[in-house]
Amino acid sequence: MMAGGNAAGADGNPGQPAAEPVGRAPAVRPFLVTAGRVAGTSTGVPLPVETQVVSTTAGLAALDRLSFEHRDIVAACRRPQSVAEIAARLRLHLNVVRVLAEDLQAGGHLSVYVPSAGTARDVSVLRRVIDGLRTIPDSRGALRDSD
Amino acid sequence: MTATEGARGRAPAAGRGAPPLPVKMVVAGGFGVGKTTAVGAISEIRPLTTEAAITEVAAGVDDLSHTPGKTTTTVAMDFGCITIDPSLKLYLFGTPGQERFGFMWDDLVQGALGGLVIVDTRRLDDCYAAVDYFEHRQIPFAVAVNAFDGRVEHELDDVRWALDVAEHVPVITFDARERGSVRDALLVVLELALARAEN
Repeated sequence: MMAGGNAAGADGNPGQPAAEPVGRAPAVRPFLVTAGRVAGTSTGVPLPVETQVVSTTAGLAALDRLSFEHRDIVAACRRPQSVAEIAARLRLHLNVVRVLAEDLQAGGHLSVYVPSAGTARDVSVLRRVIDGLRTIPDSRGALRDSD
Repeated sequence: MTATEGARGRAPAAGRGAPPLPVKMVVAGGFGVGKTTAVGAISEIRPLTTEAAITEVAAGVDDLSHTPGKTTTTVAMDFGCITIDPSLKLYLFGTPGQERFGFMWDDLVQGALGGLVIVDTRRLDDCYAAVDYFEHRQIPFAVAVNAFDGRVEHELDDVRWALDVAEHVPVITFDARERGSVRDALLVVLELALARAEN
């Protein structure tokens, strides 16, 4: 597992290629928490990695009754998070988070905002991203740690 | 949230606004080429790492083909983000560029605004598969030669020839460590995406 906290991490030095960040993982453990289910089977399409997830009032109220990963996800989503961010922060497999997020949504504990497929060709969105990026200065202040 | 289908669950808790519309770009390239450096140079958070699992896809890949039974392999994927405004957030996902990681690209590239293929001129073959992929999927992309140490070993024309990219695909140099340089490389891709969307 690579350290995620270093901006010039394993991938950072072009002159000295890091070891490939590929490793064998336990075959069973990650999907034990999903009872063996993998993402994409219930709705046909896995949640996009950027999908925003927010805990509901009901979810936060039920926090003490939720177990393990379910509780961690609801607690982490007091503020909107992407599926990828949840996976990284809770050190869970992406596809495990996808399955659990859909479960928690079905239980009313999470709201899941699936991005529309047409966004990538939305002229107004592209203009906003371009205009926003253009305002980024060449230099930067201190990088904040993810929260 | 005009471009969001809306929550598939219940409304968020009172007092918290709707989440931003998330958009993403994909940064592809071989190991050590500077993907994480580029993401970290412009991301407002330190790049996070998540793991994508290879499960059934693992068959036939490297030594795993000799491993009996079901094996899960993980691949680290680094990403960062930029808040464009309170209602729009850009995610940057770094992904390995070699063909054997292609299983990750369908997942990542779906809905992406565009892609940046980072190239180390000493290991051009690490990015062939990513270039092919973006071309075939008609994802707007640019090839960016990471000119670390201020040197580019091949002329850009040579890189273009070697990769055999279409004429409309920009081949640029950039410095993955420089925020402004990464910003400009992303803007090259976004301008392509905009031109396509306007047609």
